[in-house]
Amino acid sequence: MDLPGPIHNFLLVFLGSGLILRGLGVVLRINPIYSAFSLGLVLVCISLFYILTNYHFVATAKLLIYVGAINVLILFVVMFMNIQNIIKILIHGPLGMALLRCTILDTSWYGIIWTTRSNQIIEQDLIGNSQQIGIHLATDFFLPFEFISIILLVALIGAIDVTLQ
Amino acid sequence: MMLEHILVLSAYLFSIGIYGLITSRNMVRALMCLELILNAVNINFLKGNIFSIFVIAIAAAEASIGSAIVSSIYRNRKSTRINQSTLLNK
Repeated sequence: MDLPGPIHNFLLVFLGSGLILRGLGVVLRINPIYSAFSLGLVLVCISLFYILTNYHFVATAKLLIYVGAINVLILFVVMFMNIQNIIKILIHGPLGMALLRCTILDTSWYGIIWTTRSNQIIEQDLIGNSQQIGIHLATDFFLPFEFISIILLVALIGAIDVTLQ
Repeated sequence: MMLEHILVLSAYLFSIGIYGLITSRNMVRALMCLELILNAVNINFLKGNIFSIFVIAIAAAEASIGSAIVSSIYRNRKSTRINQSTLLNK
C-alpha cells in the first residue's frame, strides 16, 4: 500500500511491538486460553504486515485460514481438555534458559540487517497480487498445487478417522 | 527499511517459538508454538508469495492432524503432559 512515510513507519513500529509482546505472551502465560488468544493476535499482526507490503491476497488468505480456521481449532482443542493448571511459579529450568540464550544471543542480528542492505530494488508491479499468484500456480507450480490438494485430502480423512473412534 | 525489520522480527519469533516448543509441558502449548514457528518462517518469505501459500496449506494440514492426535491421546490417558510418554522406555 502506498501510504505516506510517517504512517508507514508508525504502523511498522506498532505492529512490530505488538508482535514482540504477544509472541512472549504465547510462551509465558500460564493459562492456555490466554496463550491461544495471544496466538490469534500474533497471526492478525502478521497478516497486517502482509498488507503493508502490497500482498493483499496472501494477507486475506492468512487471515481467513490461520485466524479463522487454525486458531479456532486450537481453541477448541484447548477447551476440550480440562487442563489443570496448578498455579505455581513458572519454573523454567536451566535447559530453558540455556536455549533462550543460545537462540536469542547467538543469532547474528547484525548479519541479518547487513545482508539486506545491498539490493534495494524498487519494482513496479502492474499486475495485482492475486493475478500474479494465479499465473504462477497455473504455469510454474502446477505439480505442487496438485500435490498440496492431495495432502489436504489425506489430512482431512486422517484427522476425521483418528477422532471418530 | 522495511525488509530488514521484518527479517529481524521473523528471526525473533522463530527463536521464541523454539524456546516455547521445547520448554512446554503441555501438548497444546507445543502445537501453538509450532504454529508460531511456521508463521515466522512464512514471514521470512516476504518476496516469495507462492511459497507462502504452500506453507499456509501445509500448516493447516499439520495443525488438523496434530490436534486429532492430541485429542485421541487425551482420551486414552486423561492427561496432556508431555513427559508422561515413556512407553518406549524400559
